Amino acid sequence: MFFLKEETKVISMHPSFFGPNMREYLITRLNEEEEGRCTGDHFVICVMDMVDIGEGRVMPGIGQAEYTIRYRAIIWKPFRGETVDAIVTSVKPTGIFTLAGPLSVFIARKNIPSDIKWEPNTVPPQYTDHADQVIEKGTSLRLKILGVKPDVAAINAIGTIKEDYLGYVVLSLL
Amino acid sequence: MSNFLNQDFGSEDEDDDFNPAPHEDSDAEEPRAKPAKKERSGGDGANEDDVKYGRDSHDEEDDAKDVEEDDEEGDNQAEDDDEEDEEEDEEEAVSHRPRKRMKANPFIEIEAGVDEEEDEAEDEEDELAEFGMETHPDDLDVLPGGTETDDRRHRQLDRQREIDASMDAEKQAQMLKERYGRNRAAASDALVIPKRLLLPSVEDPSIWGCRCKPGKEKEVVYSIQKRIEERPAGSRNPIRIISAFERGNVMQGWFYCEARRQADVTEGLEAINFYYPSQKMTLVPVKEMPDLFRVQKSEELLPGGWVRIKRGKYSGDLAQIEEVETNGLNVTVRLVPRLDYGMNDDALGAPAAESKRKRGLTNTVRPPQRLFSEAEAKKKHAKYLSSTSGLGGKSWNYLNDNYVDGFLIKDMRVQHLDTKNVNPRLEEVTMFARGGEDGTANLDLASLAETLKKSTAEEAYQPGDPVEVYRGEQQGLIGRTVSTRGDIVSLQVTEGELSGQTIDAPVRTLRKRFREGDHVKVIGGSRYQNELGMVVQVKDDTVTLLSDMSMQEITVFSKDLRLSAEMAADGQLGIYDVHDLVQLDAATVACVIKVDRESLRVVDQNGSVRNILPTQIAAKITPRRDAVATDKNGAEIRLGDTVRELHGEQRSGVIRHIHRSFLFLHNKAQAENAGITVVRTSSVVTVSARGGRPAGPDLTKMNPALAMQTPGGGGAQMPPPRRGRDRLLGKTVTIRKGRYKGLVGIVRDADDSSAQVELYTSNKPVHIPRDILTVKDPITKQSLDMGGGRGRGSRTPFGSSAGLPSREGGWAGGRTPMAAADSSRTPAWGGAGGSRTPAWGNASGSRTPAWKNDGSRTSNPYEGNRTAYGGVGNRTPAWNSGSKTPYDSSSGFDAFASGSRTPAWGSAGGNTGNRTPAWGGLSSSRDQRDFDDAPTPGGGYSAPTPGAYTAPTPGAPTPGAWPESAPTPGGVFSAPTPGGPSKRDYDAPTPAAYDAPTPAMGGAAATPGAGYGGNDNGPRYDDSPSP
Repeated sequence: MFFLKEETKVISMHPSFFGPNMREYLITRLNEEEEGRCTGDHFVICVMDMVDIGEGRVMPGIGQAEYTIRYRAIIWKPFRGETVDAIVTSVKPTGIFTLAGPLSVFIARKNIPSDIKWEPNTVPPQYTDHADQVIEKGTSLRLKILGVKPDVAAINAIGTIKEDYLGYVVLSLL
Repeated sequence: MSNFLNQDFGSEDEDDDFNPAPHEDSDAEEPRAKPAKKERSGGDGANEDDVKYGRDSHDEEDDAKDVEEDDEEGDNQAEDDDEEDEEEDEEEAVSHRPRKRMKANPFIEIEAGVDEEEDEAEDEEDELAEFGMETHPDDLDVLPGGTETDDRRHRQLDRQREIDASMDAEKQAQMLKERYGRNRAAASDALVIPKRLLLPSVEDPSIWGCRCKPGKEKEVVYSIQKRIEERPAGSRNPIRIISAFERGNVMQGWFYCEARRQADVTEGLEAINFYYPSQKMTLVPVKEMPDLFRVQKSEELLPGGWVRIKRGKYSGDLAQIEEVETNGLNVTVRLVPRLDYGMNDDALGAPAAESKRKRGLTNTVRPPQRLFSEAEAKKKHAKYLSSTSGLGGKSWNYLNDNYVDGFLIKDMRVQHLDTKNVNPRLEEVTMFARGGEDGTANLDLASLAETLKKSTAEEAYQPGDPVEVYRGEQQGLIGRTVSTRGDIVSLQVTEGELSGQTIDAPVRTLRKRFREGDHVKVIGGSRYQNELGMVVQVKDDTVTLLSDMSMQEITVFSKDLRLSAEMAADGQLGIYDVHDLVQLDAATVACVIKVDRESLRVVDQNGSVRNILPTQIAAKITPRRDAVATDKNGAEIRLGDTVRELHGEQRSGVIRHIHRSFLFLHNKAQAENAGITVVRTSSVVTVSARGGRPAGPDLTKMNPALAMQTPGGGGAQMPPPRRGRDRLLGKTVTIRKGRYKGLVGIVRDADDSSAQVELYTSNKPVHIPRDILTVKDPITKQSLDMGGGRGRGSRTPFGSSAGLPSREGGWAGGRTPMAAADSSRTPAWGGAGGSRTPAWGNASGSRTPAWKNDGSRTSNPYEGNRTAYGGVGNRTPAWNSGSKTPYDSSSGFDAFASGSRTPAWGSAGGNTGNRTPAWGGLSSSRDQRDFDDAPTPGGGYSAPTPGAYTAPTPGAPTPGAWPESAPTPGGVFSAPTPGGPSKRDYDAPTPAAYDAPTPAMGGAAATPGAGYGGNDNGPRYDDSPSP
């Protein structure tokens, strides 16, 4: 689920950057460091705007300036039970690895409908029901997140396509 | 009455506990006995009931359960009886039926239903648990809504019903009495008499316990039986013993006789072998009589259940029960055979006979469990093989054993089987799965779960485990365990109406509850122990989880799982964890990819996978966070970066370890080797850097100011610059300490701390710490001054550390010799006296007049004392206080000290050629203090003062020299430093020390003064130090 979250970050800036473009530099730094970051709990998708860029404080003895920036960002925290669209990154006999945006979701064999079978002999290997559904690398899937396991700087999730309206998504619908 | 004697007591001693077979008979026996009793005492029924109710009221203490059970069955039978009855006398039934249906029957009916459905194997507790747990549809109407879950109301209702039921039974008994009292034919086949009515009362014959020779109980009983047959009732001299029985192993040395009077027993037992008439027989209290017949229910064996073989070739093997014979003693089991098909037999000799003979011996290796293969059997043992096409499949007879579907079908006695705590493991069980490649699919998991349930240990539940009550009254409740004691688990309900309440539930009604997506750990009972994973499927008792490590699906029982909070991969083995980098030998490193209970599986730098023991690991390599390598394009790669192989399989992954030119990559999508691959740095290109390292030059790094900017302050924290070749290389050295002490060798290699020395003696290079090496002249074997022989190793901190610039200038050059022994001093130092300026030889002589001048000291605070001194020697007190201390410390240094001072004195602040600045500093700073103390000469000395301060101070603090030469003033020396450039060290002490030393000096001066004064003027001096 997406949230708009206000967060605070301290950026220290080297004196060589002190100057008229400091502000831009700070923003660039913030965007660089924050966007796409995974805290283990959520992903920072996009920094929306700065609520407040504090006054820089020059650190004694170093000369660098510390800026405390309060900003708003769109974050995505995946929840169990959330339905997301994902793209298949690889297909293995054990299951399907997908990427739902920044989140890697694994769909275990058990969570693939039984009529969709592992077909290792095709190139590239695929899961298919021998009809219109072919799941291979690059396929779009709609899946439901079954569980989320936070890690230090990553989130791992497992998902299922073994439910109604889940699974193969026909791109032409989009 | 002889019914009892006809019972099959025979098998009782074959079992350890009371035999299951008689139990079934014993159910029947009581009804059979009962009618006889009735015959005897016509009006017993009601009385027995009374007794029964009496018991009911107070039997909660011990055998509540058993009685309860009896109750059920009794009621059941009574009910049947009623039906019969009602059919017979219609008019009576009409009046009774509605009432009964209303009150008693619902309950009885339910119980009857439950009783029939429940298999008899259920323990009493279970039945107790089940007792009255279900809500009858009728009740739903009667009771207010929402009461189904209210325990209290249930119990109240149960009690009410129980009373009703017992009231009814009383009436029934009355009826029975009326009916069967008249009708003997009906009585004879009345297997349906309620059990509770069968309990003995005081009216019944008593039972006496008699002693006999232990082990001969059965024989005694047989002889009594024989005697009764010989002298039946009605004969001339009848035996009046009604029945006799014994309890086998439970009561050794006892047998029991039922008779009206004790005299009857005594008479009947006359001259019975092994009977001990001398020991008093005891009357069994009426209450305890039923206990004599109580049978310990043994494990009920059901086809499909699992057992283990106790002995023989298959001992410990899991077996599945195919069939249980009705006597409960023999079972047919299905086993995975262990056959070698004669491969290990001698060429000669019949294997059948062979095997018989060998059984006792420790046979060779036990063949592994494998399904029977007729092809293999035919190879060598074709003559022992015969096929029988039976029903539903071909079976083979091989060496007198039957094999069906590859399994061995074997008849075994129950006592050769382990029926408790079988704990079948899933992988064992999968062997039994018929057909199916992977097995798990068509496993009878339910039966397996049932077997496991029996052995569920309470420790399987730990506080906090999510559980679900899946049967019984509380069915469907979901909660978390709070505590366990014995078989009872307290759980806090987390969902539903009862949320927040704590209830107790027996273990057997619980199962652990997991949701899909839960992160769990396998805690035991299977080979997947310690595996971590996420639940992908939950089906009753079995949970399928996806291993974090291998991305493989694992199916285990929920009882073997725990919720896991661990982030890490698998469990650890000692200090080794999955994905750790370990050193196998000097040239090999490897990455752990799997941790088993005792061994590790690693992939080494060459990509080969092997199993090793922890003992084979030389060391664990702690990852260096800052390890940097360069990829094919020369770009910097670090831990955590994602790289891709340029050629070959184009594998990609996140860098886990960098070791020399090898990268250990981790790729989640790769199942093998726990996702670890080894590549060379030169064959990869960066895909993405961790944390989006900017591709462009990092400005902060390029700024030299920042580079110098380090927390240590003062800049260059870079390693001390290497000045070319190590000076120790190629030098001839001698070793001063350790096992090589005294040996001489040539330094072949050296680093900061140690040197590789090729010894003259053994021509073998050894590693020696540098600081125990002394450099020798290869020819003269004289010790050389090589910067103290330690080279820059120990020196560097002073010499090159930019952080301590104050020490640098003076020390690096001039100081060096200092550290060496006396002999290595510059010639000026060599002779203590000789090198000194002559003036110094005579301590007082060369001093400036000012010093000798007492007048100049007038203002000295010590003047009072000193005056005397002044008079005696021409030493100034200032001298005493200031320079005395080092003076005294040792004579050598004494001379040294004074010598060094000379120049300072001579040309205040000027540096003469042979004076090392340090010394100058040393002396001058000291002197300066003295001068400060003595303001009067201040004028005279004003000139040298600044000089002394500026130049020498840096030298002062050198740790190497000072502690030796002037320990006491060490503190003092720090004091004067204000002139010294190094703020950090000297800032604080300055003022305090500056002032302080004076008295200190005074004190210090006194002591040395004693020695000193001893030469010049002993007696007076002693008094002086007192202030």
